[in-house]
Amino acid sequence: MEPIVPPFVPVILAALLLPLLGQKFGHAVAGVATFAVVPYVWLVDSGAHFTSFDLFGFETVIFNVDPFSTLMGLIFAFIGAVGVLYSYYSDAEAIQTAFALSYVASSLGAVFGGDWLTLIFFWELMAVTSTLLVWHYGGKAVRAGFRYAILHGIGGTLFLGAVIWHFAETGSFLFASVPGGPETAGLAGPVAPVLAALGVGVNVGFIGLHAWLPDTYPRPHIAASVFLCVYTTKTGVYGMYRVFPDDGNVAVAYMGGLMAVFGATMALFQNDMRRLLSYHIQSQVGYMVAGVGIGSALAQAGAFAHVFNHILYKGLLFMTAGVVIYRTGEESLKKLGGLARQMPLTAGAFSVAALSIAGFPGFNGFVSKGIVISGSHYTFQKGPLVIGDFYTLELLLLVGGVGTFMSFIKFGYYAFFHGEYDGEVKDANRGQSVALVTVAALCVFFGLSDGSLFSILPFDVTDGAVVDHVYVTYTTDHIIEGVALAVAGLVGFALVKKPLSKLGRVPDVDKLYNPLSFYGTRALVVGVTELYAATDRAVVRVAGGVQRAVAAPDRAVGRAVGRDRVPLAAGISSGIVLVVLVAAVVVLAAVL
Amino acid sequence: MSDLAPLLVALPVFGSVVALLAGLARDRVGWAVAVLTLVVQTAVAGTLMADVLGSEAIRYVVGGFTVPIGIELVVDGLSATIALLVAVVSLGVLAYARRAGPRSNAFYVIYLLLVAGLSGMSITGDIFNMYVFLEITGLTAYALVASGDGGRSAIAGLKYLLVGTVGASLFLLGIGFAYIATGTLNMGDLATQLAEVGYGSPLVLAAFGLLVVGLFVKIAVFPLHTWQPAAYAGAPDSVSAFISALVSTVAAYALIRIVFTVFGTEFLAATPLASTVLAAGAVVSIVVGSLLAVSQSELKRMLAYSSVSQFGLIVGAVAVGNVVALTGAAIHLVGHAIMKGGLFLAVGLVNDVTGARTVDEYAGLAKRSPVGAAAFSVLAVAMVGVPPAVGFVGKWYIALGAVEAGAWPLVVVIFASTLLTLAYFARVVERIYFRDSTETSGLAPTATDGGEDDAPEPVVSVGMRATVVAAAVVAVALGAVAAGYGDLLEPTIEGLLS
Repeated sequence: MEPIVPPFVPVILAALLLPLLGQKFGHAVAGVATFAVVPYVWLVDSGAHFTSFDLFGFETVIFNVDPFSTLMGLIFAFIGAVGVLYSYYSDAEAIQTAFALSYVASSLGAVFGGDWLTLIFFWELMAVTSTLLVWHYGGKAVRAGFRYAILHGIGGTLFLGAVIWHFAETGSFLFASVPGGPETAGLAGPVAPVLAALGVGVNVGFIGLHAWLPDTYPRPHIAASVFLCVYTTKTGVYGMYRVFPDDGNVAVAYMGGLMAVFGATMALFQNDMRRLLSYHIQSQVGYMVAGVGIGSALAQAGAFAHVFNHILYKGLLFMTAGVVIYRTGEESLKKLGGLARQMPLTAGAFSVAALSIAGFPGFNGFVSKGIVISGSHYTFQKGPLVIGDFYTLELLLLVGGVGTFMSFIKFGYYAFFHGEYDGEVKDANRGQSVALVTVAALCVFFGLSDGSLFSILPFDVTDGAVVDHVYVTYTTDHIIEGVALAVAGLVGFALVKKPLSKLGRVPDVDKLYNPLSFYGTRALVVGVTELYAATDRAVVRVAGGVQRAVAAPDRAVGRAVGRDRVPLAAGISSGIVLVVLVAAVVVLAAVL
Repeated sequence: MSDLAPLLVALPVFGSVVALLAGLARDRVGWAVAVLTLVVQTAVAGTLMADVLGSEAIRYVVGGFTVPIGIELVVDGLSATIALLVAVVSLGVLAYARRAGPRSNAFYVIYLLLVAGLSGMSITGDIFNMYVFLEITGLTAYALVASGDGGRSAIAGLKYLLVGTVGASLFLLGIGFAYIATGTLNMGDLATQLAEVGYGSPLVLAAFGLLVVGLFVKIAVFPLHTWQPAAYAGAPDSVSAFISALVSTVAAYALIRIVFTVFGTEFLAATPLASTVLAAGAVVSIVVGSLLAVSQSELKRMLAYSSVSQFGLIVGAVAVGNVVALTGAAIHLVGHAIMKGGLFLAVGLVNDVTGARTVDEYAGLAKRSPVGAAAFSVLAVAMVGVPPAVGFVGKWYIALGAVEAGAWPLVVVIFASTLLTLAYFARVVERIYFRDSTETSGLAPTATDGGEDDAPEPVVSVGMRATVVAAAVVAVALGAVAAGYGDLLEPTIEGLLS
C-alpha cells in the first residue's frame, strides 16, 4: 500500500476532536482512529517515505517506513487503542485522553521520522505532552510532573546537542537508510553518540538517570499510567537503536544488564503497586538496551521483540493494577490481599502478565527475553565474569530474571492470594475486562506461536544467513532455564519474604539529588541575590562618598587631613598668587 | 562701507556721554538713551556683518595715519560676528534691565562704555589698542559688578579688579615683549615681523606666554578663574547675564586673534609647548570647572563654574587649531553667550518671582514659575548639547575638529564634558519638574528695586519674560542656521589659519 499520511495524523486529529465530541462518542472515535493505524502501518510498504517536507527549513523525512518503525508503529497504535478503551471504562476525562493521544501521536511521529530533526522534534513534543498528561491529574502528580519535565528537558537538550553536532559534521539530518542520507548510519563524530547516549539514557532510565520513572508513573490517573508505561521508554529504546544502529556499544550493553538487575531488585523493595511496576519498566528496558548495545542482528531483533512483548504485558500489568486501585482505592500492597477470590478475571490477567514478564515458558516474555539472552551468549564478549557456560552480561540478565520472578510473586501473593480482603470488591467492569482479556490473550498467543512474533521482527532470527546463531524458542535447555528461574524466584521469595515485610521505603538516587538540586538551586538564588545586594551596597556607598565629596569638597579634604574642613575657595590674594604662578611657570617653560 | 567700522566704537562712547549729560537734567533717561544707541549699534553691526561675511575683510585706519603706524580696525567675518553678538546681547539685556534694574543713569553710562570696550576689542587690528579696550572693558565690568547692593558685590568687584588687573598687566607685559622683539604693534605687521625674528626667540616665546596667560585670566580658565564665580554671583542679575555672556567671550575671541593672527599656525607648529599649554588649560578647565559646578548649591555660582568648563572647550578648539574646530569655537562662542546670558536672566527671573536662588529651592519650580522653569530647562538642555540646539552644533564641530587633528585625549574630554554638563544641569531640571516644592513661601521682595516709585509694580515685567523666552528660542533656532553660518565663516577661518 502506498503511504497516505504520516501515522500520527489520525491520532492527533482524534486527540483534537475528542474533547469536542463528548465523553462516549469522543472515546469511540478516538479508539477507532487509533486502532486504524494498526492495519495502516502494517500494510504500508517498507521503504516508503515522504521527502518533500521541510521542518524549520531543513530537508526532513516526516514519514519513513522500515521494519523497526513498522514494529514500533504496530504496537504503539494497538496499545493506544486499548488504552483509549481502558480510559473510557476507568472514568478518565475526555481531556485527559486527549492529552494521552497527543502523547501517542508524538511517539508515532518520532518512530516514523526518517531523520534526526523529526525524531528530536517529536521527542521533545513527547516530553511536553506526557508532562501535560501527568499534570492533568493534579495533586502530588504536579510536583512529580515538574521533576519529570526538568529531567526530560535536560535529556532532550543533550540529545538535541548530539543531533546538532551530527548536522555540523555531516550537513544532513537524514538517516542513512533514507535515500539521500549519509553513508554511515548513526551519529557522526566522537562526541555526538556520547551526548545522545546520555540524553536517550534519561528516557530509557539508565541507572542514575532513572529516578523520574518510579517517581512519576505511580502518581497520575490509572489510565494515564497505562499510556505512560509504554511510550517514553520504548521510544527511548528505538532512539538508542538509531544512535547505535550497526555494532551497538559495549558500555550501553552492560548498562542494560545492570538496569535489569537494579530495576528488579528495587522493584522487590516496593509496596506501592505502580511503583513496583515502574521499577520493572527499568528492569525490562534493561534487556532491550542490552540487546541494542550488543548490536548483533540477533540481539537487535531480540530487543525489538522484547519491546513488542513488553508493551503488551506491561500495559496489561498497569491495567490490572489500575483495576485493583479502581475497585479498592488502595495503592499499597500492604493494604491489599486475597483479591483473587473476588476479582478472578483481574487475578487471571495479572498471572498471565506476571508469567510473561518473568519469562515463563509458554508466555511471550519467554520468547523475546530468550532472544536477547541468546544474543548476549553467542554474539557478545564474554566479559570479566564467567561462571561455567554463562558469560557476564548473560548472568546479569538471568539474575534480573530471578528478581523479576521474586517481585511478581510478591505482587501476586500480597495482592491476590495472601489473606482475606474485608468487604465486597467487584471485578473489572466490562470494558476493562475486554481490554485485559484481549491483551492477555495476545501475551499467550505470542508465547505459543513464536513464529508470529518472528514474522514482524526486523531480522529473521530463524534464518542462519541473517543472524549469527539461529534462535529456537522451545529447546529443552531453554525451557529448563525458564522453569529454573521460576523455581529460583519462588525459593528466593520464600527466603526474603520475612525481612522484606519489615523493610521500609528503600531510598533511590532521587533521595540524593532531589534535595541536592533543591538546596543547590536555593543556594544559587540566595548567593546571586546576596552578591547583587553586596554589589548594590558597595556602589551606593561609593556613590554616596563621591556625592559628599563633590557637594562639600572642603569637608572631604578636611576629613582626609584630619581637620574639620579645609577652605578651598581662593581669596583675592591667593587668586593673584595663582595668576602670577601660572604666568611664571608658562613663561619659564616657554623661554627655557 | 568701511567707514561704518569706527562707528561701532564711537557710537556707544557717544551714547554714554549723552546719557551722562542728559542724566544731569533728567532722571531715568539712561535707559532710553542706551536703547537708542544700541539699536543703531545693532544696525551698524548687522550691516557690517552682512558686508563681510563670505567676502573680503574691511580695513579702516584711524586718523589718517598709515599702517603700521596708525591704529587699524579690521572687520572680518569673525570680528563682525562678535561685534553683532555684543550689540544684540546688550540690547536684549536692556529689555530685561528696564524693570529688573539697576536703573540709575550711572549704570547705563558704564553699560554703554562696556559695550564700547567689547566692540573695540572685537574689531581692532592693533595689539596695543586691544589692550586699551581690554582695560576699558575690565574697568567698566568691575564697576558694574560692584554696582549691586551689599558688601558681597563690593568684595566681588574688588576681587575682580585685583585679579583682572594682574591679568591685564601680564597682557601688557606680553605686548611689551613683542614690541621689543619687533618694533611694531599692528597685528598683521607683527605676524610677519615675529616670523622674521624667529619663533625660537625668548622674547617671542615670553610674549606668547604672557599674552596667553593674561587672556586666560580674562577668559577665566582654571586655575585663573578665581575672580569669576564671585563676580557672577555677586553682581545684579542683569549684570551677571551681560558679563557672563560677553566679557569672557570677547576675551576668548582675543585669544583666537592673538594666537592665529599675531603668532600664526607656523608658530604653533614650531613651538609644541604652545599647543600643550592651550590644551592643558582646556582639559583642566573642562573637567575641574564641571566638577566644581556640580558641587555648587547656588545657581549663579553653578552657572559661573559652567562657564569655566565651557570656555575650556573654546580654548581646546584653539589648541586643535584647524578650520573645523575654529568654526566650532566661533559657533560655540555665540551659542554659549546666548545660552549663558539666557540662563542668568532665567535665574534672575525665577529669583524675582519665587526668591529661589539655590538648587534645592528649585524643587517644584515648574508650578511656581512655569516660564522661568521652562526657559531654564530648554537652555540647560541646549547647553548640555542636545540636538538641534546650538550647544550641540558648537560642540560637534569642536569634537570633529579634534578628531580630524587626532587629538584623542581632547576628544575624550570633549565628549566627557557633555556628560559632566549633564551632571550639573540634570539635577536642577530634575528638581524643577520631578520634585515637590519643600516650601510654600510665595513672592520674595525684589532686591534690586530702586524704591523711588510708590506705585506697586508687578515684580516681573513682560520684557523680562520675553527676553528670557527669546533667549531660549534663539538658543534652539540658532542650531538650525549654525551649519550654514559655519560654511559662510569658512573663508575667514581659512584666512586666519593661512
